[in-house]
Formats: sequence, C-alpha cells, structure tokens
Amino acid sequence: MRDAASANHQPLPIINSSLTVEDSPIEILLKEQGTLQTPVSVFSAQHADADADADAEPAQAQFYKQLIPLSKPGAGEQYAFKVDLDRCTGCKGCVSACHSLNGLDENETWRDVGTIHGGLAGASYTQTVTTACHHCADPACLNGCPVLAYEKDPETGIVRHLDDQCIGCQYCSLKCPYDVPKYSKSLGIVRKCDMCHSRLAEGEAPACVQACPTEAISITIVNTDSVATIARAGGSFLPSAPDPEYTAPTTQYVTKREVPSNVEAGDRYALRPEHAHFPLVLMLVLTQLSVGLYAYALISTDAAVTHYSRLAALLAMGIGLAASTSHLGRPLGAWRAFLGLRRSWLSREIVIFGAFSAIAAAYTAVGFFDQVPVGLELLLGAGTVGSGLLGVFCSVMIYHDTQRPFWNFPVSYGKFLGTTFGLALAAYLAVLSLVSNEAVPMVGLIALLVFFGLKLGLEVSQLTAATQSDMTPAKKSALLMLESLKAITASRHGFGLVGLLCFAAVLFGAESVWLPVVGFVFLLIGELLERVLFFKAVAAPKMPGAFTS
Amino acid sequence: MSPVNFIKDQMRIRCRDGVLTERLVQAPAAFGLGRVPKSFKPDATVDSVCGYCATGCSLKVHLKDGAAVNLSANTGYPVNLGMACPKGWEALAPLSASDRATSPMLRGADGKLAPVSWHDAMDAFTGRFKSIQAEHGPASVAFLGTGQIVTEELAFLGALAKFGMGVVHGDGNTRQCMATAVVAYKQSFGFDSPPYTYQDFEESDVLVFVGANPCIAHPIMWQRVMRNQRNPEIVVVDPRKTETAMAATRHLPLAPKSDLALFYGLANRVIELGLIDQAFIDAHTKDFDAFKAFLADYNLNHAAEVSGLDYDELDALARLIGSGKRVSFWWTMGVNQSYEGVRLAQSMINLALMTGNIGKPGTGANSITGQCNAMGSRLFSNTTNLLGGRVFESTSDRAAVAEITGIPVERIPSESSYAYDQIIDAIERGEIKGLWLVATNTAHSWINQKRFRHIREKLDFLVVQDMYHTTESTEIADLILPAAGWGEKDGVFINSERRIGRTRKVRKAPGQALSDFNIFRLIAHHWGCADLFAEWSSPAAVFQILKRLSAGQPFDITGIEDYDHLDREGGIQWPLLASPESQVGRESEVGKHRRLFEDGRFYHADGKARFMFEAPRAMPEAPDADFPFLLLTGRGTSSQWHTQTRTGKSDVLRKLYPKDAYVEINPLDASRLGICPDGQVNVVSRRGAVQAKAVLLASVPPGQLFMPMHYASTNYLTADAFDPYSRQPSYKACAVALSISKS
Repeated sequence: MRDAASANHQPLPIINSSLTVEDSPIEILLKEQGTLQTPVSVFSAQHADADADADAEPAQAQFYKQLIPLSKPGAGEQYAFKVDLDRCTGCKGCVSACHSLNGLDENETWRDVGTIHGGLAGASYTQTVTTACHHCADPACLNGCPVLAYEKDPETGIVRHLDDQCIGCQYCSLKCPYDVPKYSKSLGIVRKCDMCHSRLAEGEAPACVQACPTEAISITIVNTDSVATIARAGGSFLPSAPDPEYTAPTTQYVTKREVPSNVEAGDRYALRPEHAHFPLVLMLVLTQLSVGLYAYALISTDAAVTHYSRLAALLAMGIGLAASTSHLGRPLGAWRAFLGLRRSWLSREIVIFGAFSAIAAAYTAVGFFDQVPVGLELLLGAGTVGSGLLGVFCSVMIYHDTQRPFWNFPVSYGKFLGTTFGLALAAYLAVLSLVSNEAVPMVGLIALLVFFGLKLGLEVSQLTAATQSDMTPAKKSALLMLESLKAITASRHGFGLVGLLCFAAVLFGAESVWLPVVGFVFLLIGELLERVLFFKAVAAPKMPGAFTS
Repeated sequence: MSPVNFIKDQMRIRCRDGVLTERLVQAPAAFGLGRVPKSFKPDATVDSVCGYCATGCSLKVHLKDGAAVNLSANTGYPVNLGMACPKGWEALAPLSASDRATSPMLRGADGKLAPVSWHDAMDAFTGRFKSIQAEHGPASVAFLGTGQIVTEELAFLGALAKFGMGVVHGDGNTRQCMATAVVAYKQSFGFDSPPYTYQDFEESDVLVFVGANPCIAHPIMWQRVMRNQRNPEIVVVDPRKTETAMAATRHLPLAPKSDLALFYGLANRVIELGLIDQAFIDAHTKDFDAFKAFLADYNLNHAAEVSGLDYDELDALARLIGSGKRVSFWWTMGVNQSYEGVRLAQSMINLALMTGNIGKPGTGANSITGQCNAMGSRLFSNTTNLLGGRVFESTSDRAAVAEITGIPVERIPSESSYAYDQIIDAIERGEIKGLWLVATNTAHSWINQKRFRHIREKLDFLVVQDMYHTTESTEIADLILPAAGWGEKDGVFINSERRIGRTRKVRKAPGQALSDFNIFRLIAHHWGCADLFAEWSSPAAVFQILKRLSAGQPFDITGIEDYDHLDREGGIQWPLLASPESQVGRESEVGKHRRLFEDGRFYHADGKARFMFEAPRAMPEAPDADFPFLLLTGRGTSSQWHTQTRTGKSDVLRKLYPKDAYVEINPLDASRLGICPDGQVNVVSRRGAVQAKAVLLASVPPGQLFMPMHYASTNYLTADAFDPYSRQPSYKACAVALSISKS
C-alpha cells in the first residue's frame, strides 16, 4: 500500500543557479508546511456518515454509564455532583475537559481544583478538591439576580443561567459564596456550570464526569429539602469551605479518610484585591451625596441655598445613576430589573432609585417655578428624601446580603449613612458658603466634624483586625488595606483629613468662601477612595483553592 | 439582526434563547464523540498521540476542513481509554500563542535578534558552523536534541549532524530524564528494555512506587492503577507525602538518598526469610551469589537506621515483596535523577529478579519514562548510541548502518559522543565552539544554571531551533530557527511501554515556521550533503528506514507495515517481527498489551539477567551548618510541563498552577525561622540565591524543602553532580539555606 503521507513530499531540487524562486527548496518546504492534508485524499480519518452514527451511543459511555443515575430525579429530588475525595488526586483533567467539551472562551473555566491540607509532620494530610457550581438548594445567585436570569430547573434542580436574560450586573458573582459565576467582559454577561444539562437529558455524562481518569466525579440524586435542612442544621459540607447554611450546596463530598482538625485551604493566606467596580464606586457615593443633599435642602431656610443644593443633588444623582448603568454588561436589558423585586435587593434598589430620580427631578424643578404650593413642595421633598433613604438602605442590603463580613450591615450602613449625611453636609455648607451672605453655621461645621470623625473612626477600626491571630476575612481585608492597597488607604485618610481641616479652619474663623468648596472636594475624593477600598478590600469567600503565587 | 428585530429582541421579558445562549448549545457530533459544542462540530476526526509526556495518550482531534478545531481523549486507544490530563486537553492552545517563532532570527552586529530570511539563516548556519569546524576541527560543533520531536526527526537530526555535518558530539535532554533507566536496563538485561505494559498496573497485587508521583506526573497511568480490581497494596517510597503517597496504602517517607541502602536491606531480608524464587534465579540470572555475599553488610536494621523508617514496617514490606503475589516496582525521576541512580534502579531490578517478579502479568521493574519520545530518542537519536541501539566503536555496527542507510561507512564516526554534561564541560574548555539546540531549553533546564550561562559566553555560535522566540534559550541564541510544533507535523512517538504511536499534522505552522524534519532537509541542502539523505524525503519514508535499522535488534519492528498499520491497531509495542509466528495472538485484547521476558530470556548473550550492585555512597552535597536544608525538586502540578514553554501558553493551564516560584517548607521549620505562610523567602545554595514564596506544608519533612522544576530560578540552586554510569544530573538533592526575604 502506498503510504498516503508521502504524497505531499517531493524531492528537493539540488541548489543550483538555474532555479527560479518558486523552485527553491525553501519555497517548496514552506508550501508543503502550509498544506493541510485533506481528509478525503489522505487521512484515514473517521469520516463517516455523520448522520448514520450520530444516534449511536458515544464511545465513552461504556465508562461513564455507571457514574450517572439511571432515572431522572423524582418529586422533591434533584441531580447533584458527588465527589469521592479518596479518588481525586489533583490531575485537573476535569477543568480542561469541561473547558473543551463546553466550548468555553479561552480564559474561561467552570471547574477548579483546589487543595486542603493539614496534619503534622509524619501524619500530614493533603487533599485535592475538584469543585464547580454546587447547584444549591437555595441558590444565592438566583436569589440575588434582579432580572431572573437564573432558574432552578424544576425537574433536575440544576441551577441554570439564562445567558440572553442576563444584563451583566455581576451581582450573582458577589452573592455566590463559592465564586462560581464568572463575568466575561467580551460577552457582557456571566456564565457558569450548567451540569451539562443537555448531556444529562440525553443520557450522557457531564464533561467532568466523562473525563475524570479516576472516576472521582459522578452525578447522584439528592432530596433537595433534606440538603437544605441538613445545611441549616449545621451539617458539614467540606472542611474549610464556606458555611453551607447560606445556600445549601448540593455537591456531596465523601471520604473515608480521617480529616485532621487543623485542615486549611491551600489559598487561605492568599491576599487578592477584588475588582474596584469604579462605576459602582461613583454610583454609591454620588447617590448618597444626592440623597443627603436633598435632605439638607429640604430643611434649609434659605431659598437660594435650597435651590442650588437641589441642583447639585440632581447633578450628583444623574452622574451616579449614569455610572451605574455603565457598570452593566448589557444595559439595554436593565428595564427588566423589576422582575427580581420579590427576592433581590439589587432589584429593589434599582426600582427605588428609579422612583427617587423621578421624584427628585420634580422636586428640583419646583425651584424654577414660583406658583408651586408649599404643601406640594414639601410633599415632593419628603418623597425625595424618603425614597432616597430607602434606596440607600437597599444599597446597604445589597452588600449585607452577600454575607461577606466586611460588608455586614452595621459597618456598611455606617459608611453609607456617613456619606449620605456627612459628605452631603459638606456639599451643603459649600453651596451655602457660595450663595448665601450669611456665615457658615457653626452647628453645621461641628456636625460635619462629628460625622466624619465617627466615619473615619469606623474605617480605622476595621484596620485593627490585622492583628488578629487567625486568618479571618476581617484580617484579610485589613491586611489588604495595609499592604497591597496601602496607597489607597493612606490617600483615603489623607484626603479625608485635609477636607476636615478646611472645615475646621472655617470653624476657627478662616473667612474664604472657597474653603468649604475645597474641603468638600477633598472629602468627596476621600469618600470615593473609601468606596474603592470597600470593593477592593473585601474578602470574597470561595471554595478551597490551590496555593497561588 | 435588523433594528426592528433587535428592538423586539430587547423588549422580550424572558429571553430563554438568543445569540448568547446559542454560543454554548451542544449538538451530537457523530464519530462516537457524543455531544460537542455546536460551534466546534467536526466534519472529521483523526487520532494523534499527545506530545507531552511518555504516557503516550491518544487524542481524538476534531477537524473542520482538515484543520483542528478541538480535541478530546480517544476512548479506543489501549493506553488512555478516553482520558487525558489537562495538558493533553489543552494541546492545541500552545500552537496559537502570540510568541511563536514565525521567522528565522539572527543576532546582528548591534547584538539584537532580528528576523531574517530562511536563506540568510541557512547561510549563517552553514557559514558559521563550517568556519568553526575549519578552524577547530569537526568535533568543535555539537548538538543537543530532545525527546519531544518525532522519531523520524530524531533520527534525521542525529544522521544529518553526525554523517552529514561531521559532528562528533551530540546528546539530548533525555539525558536529564531517562539515561539512568537506560543504563540500568542495559547492564541488567543486556538491552535498554522496559519490560512492562500498562496493563500491569491493573494486574499487580503489590505496586511499589519509588521516587514517582504518577498522580500528577502521569495521571493517566494512575488511572490504570485505580482500575486495578485486585485490591492491591500500593506502596510509595518518597520523602514527601505526595498526592500519590496520600492515595497509597503504605507510605515510606525515607530520609533522602537512603534509598539504595533501603532496597539492599529489603533484598537482604527477603533472602533471610527464604522468600526468593531460586528456580528462576538459577535458570535466568547470573551473579546472584555475589549479590548475596555483598548484601551481608546491608541488613534490614541498617536500612531502618539510615532511612529513619520503622524496622517492622520494612520487615512487613520485605515479606510482601517475597509473598509470591504479583509485585511490580515503578520508578521515575526520584530514582533517575540521582548520583547513584543506576545502582538504585538496579536494586529494584534485583528484587524483581530474585523473587521471579518479571515477565509475568502485574510484575516487573519498570521505569516510567518522562518525555513523549524519550524511547524514540533512546533507540534512534544517533547520539551516544549509533542508530538503532548500536555502538559507534563497533566496526560491524557501522558497516550495518552504512549498508542499511546507504551512508558511506567512512562518514560514520568511530567514537561515541560526549554526554550532555561532557559537552558543556567541553565548551568550557574551549573544545566545542558551536552548539545547536533542538526543541530543548537548556538555559532553563540544565543544572547549576549560573555556570551554564557563564559557559555559554564561550560559544562562538549558538543556534536554537524552537517553536517560540521567547524561551530562556532562544533569548541567548545567535540564530533562531522557527519550528513547527506538535500537531503541525507527522511522525511517531514511542511511549513508556514501548508503544509506537502516530502523531499527525492537523494545523498549519505559523509564518515561516517549518517542521524540524523540513528544517533538517533544508540544512542538508545548504550544507551540501543532501545526496546522502535522498531517501529521507518524508517522515513516512524515514519510518521505513527505521524499520530496516531495527531488523534483528531487540526492538525489531519490521512487522509494522506503515503508519496506517499503527492507526489500525491503536499503536504497536516493540518488538513486532515480520515473521508470521510473531503475529500469533495479536488479534486478541491481550495482544494489545505485551510484556517482555515472558520466556525468561534476557538480552545478554547467555540469555541471563545480571545482578548489579555497588556500595551506597554519601550524597554529594549533604546539608551542613551553613546550608542546613536539603532541597528536593520535581513536578509542581499536572498542568505544568518542564520549562513551561508550551504549558505557559494556555490560559486554562496557567490558571491551574502558581505563577511564580515557590518553596514548600515544613511548618515547624517555618515557625522556627519566623516564616509566615505565603511570605517571601530567600533560598540560597553554594551556586545561587533565589526568592520564592513560602508554602507551609506538613507533607514536606522538617529539614527538607521542595521546589518545582518549572520555574527558571530553581536550577540556579541545583548542584552539578552526576551518576557516573548514566551521566544523568542529580537534580533532586542539594544543600541550601533558608531565610525570610526583607523585600
């Protein structure tokens, strides 16, 4: 038989002067290198009647059949990943196979393999842990999504992400304690593991199950309610993984090995600054500034000051809300944000700030008309401030609801209210200083110093966690702020203090009308930096990862 | 999409489908694949053996219009049964890297590398090397090859350099990985002959892994261990509690470099207990009595003492080895990369021989190979061996090669080559002035890197042939020749179990890159020796030459017809003779998994295996007061390969390993030195000082440190000690000091 592969090779001409360029050895070899052997002529490729054997059982089925359930989940049941830790040895084939068989983007992975380790010399313990979406009984991603882009499939329990429904707000990736939904900048949406639902539907195993050389991953059927009940009752999930109580993950990790008590995740000491989310930084600071400024406008007795304060507040609100839409990967779908009202604080925030913007605009417009009844103006003012404060409350809840300690309610509320009333007071005093003939009131200056004293004190108190002996999330945040983010931390306090000094100078008699304005600008920058730290220094929970350097 | 439809699309309240959803939709693919992403649905598939490690997994490459769009693991191949490690799954990614060498590059008068035409590159190659040879003699130009290119290319490289260019000294990076096993087998069995088949993983009762971490270094071999239905004892002999040690039934965390004494102690105890197979010893081995006498000095108490292991535990292991069950020994770099690796490998071969654990299912003293074509290199690289396991010094061997290849016999050197380290030394002495690196990254992988960098300055001309222009070696080259990579060319690899498998061209090479095979053709023409290689026109043609070279040798493959034959059978293990009787039984499943020595006949002239032994020596650089830690090196993760020139090009693989160098430290040592987890530390040896991140792990015993070999800094620490027989560097142990880094 003639060997097919030799067909493309031809003898090279011996070099001599009579050769043309096309005949030169280099050209011949480059041409040969640039030729792919066509399947028809050369390959003993399995060319096949694609249609004929499309229905045939996949070759790999002989190995994975026993790793997936024979029947579909019954009522109250769902599919779940089962990981036999004693068989997982860290080859990470599952990660790559998932990537290739699901056609993910080049840098996108839906699985990860981490480690947990502990014990003592002589009796050390190291365990590799493969992990993907846990298809939780009470999925935090789903609960947080403002546009209902997540569904828990009623038949299989698989938590599916509807890619075309997603608006790219990324709130799910803050909500998920397992770091599962991953945002794709190019697509403008998040994507995540769907347990290869379309494979399971056809009796094929998910990619990771198909590809695990040691059959460590399988699909099992669990009772969704009992998973939730056990999780709520303090049942164990996986040592050093986030507490299952929050979302009731369904993945079953099993091992016969004794796990030492000092076990910890391979990436326990990793200090990774998170995304800054600059649009959200702007949005949070400016909406809070706006709400507070409207409040001061409402109680102000000077009509001019009220008018200009409202205008300034409107401007801040406009920039803040515009920034927030620029945060979205697909802002055109944002109108659907009301869909999640029942469960999502983000949904509520969007709707309430939407209402706030309308009322606030009307309230601001009042300043341009003379014949508006005082009652109506008061009503609009109260509506503006009321809805605004409710919006700020929703903002706090958005972050509190992620269960990240750095964002817990008292601290976030303290920070956000501090911005609302402190920064807005600075803005108000600056407006007053510019448009009013009266001196800046002392009570306002003292209140300002008190507000910011408390707020900066609160922030500094978060830094003291750095001295804790255990690597808690609070300590991680503190270390981040003191180490890799120390320039931001120092600037934040620097701007804050200079801003306060400006107002203190006014308090002690300095007479420049611009001093409060300068002070406000410094405080504003300080608040923006505080909010950058708010996002970057949060310790995000995740499944145990591998050591990273 | 029209504006109207776009608006309509945006106005839907629930979007269960659409362009984004469509991206991940799967479709049945045929070809036995099951469902695949619709956007990558193939119109054909083709099987190709992976180009990373010596497991030799077959990958099913998904093609569209002849070009690879995706791949999956091949279910039907007897090696990997539908599995692959992450490197295999990601095998296509490194081909698309942005730093591919797409044009030859020559270092100009300004000292910078700049693109040149192939013509100018060939002028420089031949001009510079010929003038060096004219001035300093033919042996003043040398080459260092690889176990990463196909066998046909390896043979061509060795033949071109030695027969065509008059080069005398050439070696390969297999010196860094397999040389020890080669010499051990040669001395013990009479030929370099790993006796096993992967089926032995499944059929063994006792598997003893020594200096091997297959869980991450050879995950697909570990797959076969996990398929073992015989409830096997898995014994891991390794100072660290590796992933494999975790998965084992027994872990013996011996003191580093106490291994030879340990295995002599076990042999002594097996004899003492009368658990030897005397009939096998008498019929099939030589020198047992001398070995027995030698062992008198190495009883099990001594082994327990030097290894720090418990006597009873060792006694139990000796009884297990002599139990009559199927016992197999498996070793990798922990053995090969040792200053007394040959004797250590042979200490396991001795145990297998004396208990009759060879040539039967589930037995053997088995070297797990490193690179995809280490074995091809061992047989055909024409470096220290003349083509086809022959000897340069032998007149009859030279005549045979001349006869088979048509190369005039006077062109075949009558002296063997320097080994890798001797080539480096010869450069230092000024004896070698020109060096040609092919598909290897010496400026990262060679031991005691600072010394190598210094020696490189003595070279007049350094040519590096590689896929990338950014490797540590191409960066210091005078001339870069851009090479096609795995997937861009044809040929065969030979895996650890002697299986010859085909790898295929499924992508075009970028720019002006050429396959190594075609680069050799081009050089032959420009050098003016093309007429010698008229028959070497294609990999398929060279494969036929290799078959002829194998005739009558232990690895006779004259029974393999051609590439298609390899495809049909799922790879074929050597030997396969052309004679009809060697085809008997080959149709069966068993025929796919053949082991050597089933007849008890070894390759020495008398058919008997030898017991080889020698007194253990102290390690070359033991820890002392100034350098109190012993540094071990090895594989980091399964997603990393050697110097990372390829695995560093896959986003997925990069996510699966730490970016920068790190050192594993026992928590007790760390707390004594005030080292915090994830803190920066200095690791200092007599040869260099590097920074690394501290990882505190109880799996590393106190007094020892572990650094993966994949980071360029590691070899600034390692010490240039070598096994005297195999010349393999002893990467695994050197003395270092450890301190907190202030920066």
